[in-house]
Amino acid sequence: MISSILIANRGEIAVRVARTCWELGIRSIAAHSSADAGSAVVCLADDSIQLGPGPAKESYLNIPAVIEAARARGADAIHPGYGFLSENSDFAEICEAEGFTFIGAPPKVMAQLGDKSSARAIMLDAGLQLLPGSREAIDSADEAIALADEIGYPLIVKAVAGGGGRGMRVVRSAAEFPRAWAETRANAVAIFGDGRLYVERYLESARHVEIQILADQHGDVVHLGARDCSLQRRHQKLVEESPAPELPDELIQEMGAAAVRGAEAAGYVGAGTFEFLVDPENRFYFMEVNCRLQVEHPVTEMVTGLDLVREQIRIASGEPLGYTQADVVTTGAAIECRLNAEDPARGFAPAPGLLEECTLPAGPFTRVDTHVFPGYRVPPLYDSLLAKLIVWAPTRDAAIARMRRALSEVRLSGPGVATTRDFLSEILDHPRFRAVEHDTAMIENL
Amino acid sequence: MTATLNGHVPAQDVDQVVTVLREQVLALAAQASRAPSLVRVSTRDVVVEVEWSGGEQVPAAEVPAPAAAPKIPEAAAPAEGTFTLCAGTVGVFYRAPEPGAKPFVAEGDSIRPGQQVAILEAMKLMIPVEADKAGRVVEVLVEDGTPVEHGQPLMLLEAAQ
Repeated sequence: MISSILIANRGEIAVRVARTCWELGIRSIAAHSSADAGSAVVCLADDSIQLGPGPAKESYLNIPAVIEAARARGADAIHPGYGFLSENSDFAEICEAEGFTFIGAPPKVMAQLGDKSSARAIMLDAGLQLLPGSREAIDSADEAIALADEIGYPLIVKAVAGGGGRGMRVVRSAAEFPRAWAETRANAVAIFGDGRLYVERYLESARHVEIQILADQHGDVVHLGARDCSLQRRHQKLVEESPAPELPDELIQEMGAAAVRGAEAAGYVGAGTFEFLVDPENRFYFMEVNCRLQVEHPVTEMVTGLDLVREQIRIASGEPLGYTQADVVTTGAAIECRLNAEDPARGFAPAPGLLEECTLPAGPFTRVDTHVFPGYRVPPLYDSLLAKLIVWAPTRDAAIARMRRALSEVRLSGPGVATTRDFLSEILDHPRFRAVEHDTAMIENL
Repeated sequence: MTATLNGHVPAQDVDQVVTVLREQVLALAAQASRAPSLVRVSTRDVVVEVEWSGGEQVPAAEVPAPAAAPKIPEAAAPAEGTFTLCAGTVGVFYRAPEPGAKPFVAEGDSIRPGQQVAILEAMKLMIPVEADKAGRVVEVLVEDGTPVEHGQPLMLLEAAQ
């Protein structure tokens, strides 16, 4: 049984995890950098420990410091949140070797699914549909060009180690290919230390639809329905909703069943997300598995009534799920908007600073996951997420109206601070979003 | 990938290589003043990777105002003419090179910059704590064998005349 958890993360997700710990009677320990010494999670958690100086490499990504912090404060388990060390299979393995329960996927499964090429192979064998492309990583540009001609253009070149929009590039013609290949390879080596690439067909118009799954240590797997995360800018999600609107229920069940099959084939344990692309003919193609809690997990929580962090902790403790697919019922519609400290007028450049004014929405069926408060100085060292606004309503239209209302209540300002609030309102009003005619390219084409 | 390894090298040789590599890495790490952020020992084509991340300190201006930090003890400003030596990493604080040995320094000792005054143990690595300025030890603030966090004051020193 887990009785204390070291939270090896910061920002809103650290607060999110601390809250569930509180509700479960689990002692929470906020592991933080010196720049986050006065942060919300440090105040909320039962205990805290400073990992290192501000830069993430020396604090949140510093494995020896995190392990020693867990030891120093007597933690049983480590929750990595998302980002930072959450998908580092070496870290997961070290946690287990040092006697701490890692709240996440088993290290071996994480390593296999984190490698795009082995993930594709596992999912193909499990019968999931993939976009036409190379089954495994390709070694030479010549081999890639031959395959590219076979797949046809446009196509996408992706780093095996990539993810979250990094290490990928769309190529529209054979003439562009050699240069795109060389540049993506150089980037992949620089960012991930792994230059292996693969190519696949690029869909000009598709929706990003993902399936949340939960798998316990006893072989039981359920899915919690779909999230539509098509509204993205440079592969960063801005607005997410559940259920995925206008998709036939049979299709969502089919995608859910495919994700469960994939999770079983991989030996998955924990909370995970299967990402798919859905084309205009409602054909769906597997993209990747995210072996962690997702930023957008609250929309699933709102429609299922399940606390996903609680489920993660229960699974890591060895408890059985205790419910079957038939017990998972989704109700109504939930939407999440990510409020970032970015300036849309300056190409979404980060705009951190002191929040002199900080009022966030409340009201019926309105949830705000955040770490900011009046007088908080947003450090320039980390990502720009200020708050996630999540609303629920019986229908999608009512949820959109509620989100518009929630956004209108947001007051975040200070010297040099800009936010994406107004941009998010405009997206929600876009006729294509309202009519569910949106796709992953909509925002780039605005 | 591992199949090639198993195909060519008997298991006991692999063990031996790993043991030697491990010793080398530990020796290397012990000479450094800070804990490495990554150590990878591999036998295929023999790889030893040790990574130290950059050591720049956060400028004071970037640290959030303490207004919202009720849980952080207000570190009493050291009296005039004194200063503190703080932990550079999370770890267990040891005053002596080994159990029962004479401590590196005692209260009243004068120390010079670069002199080792303690050890911080992090993931079985012994990281020397060195004085950054000359001074005289007024008080050792942490009990021997206690875990410390990054930035925690370890010793109170009096500035050298």
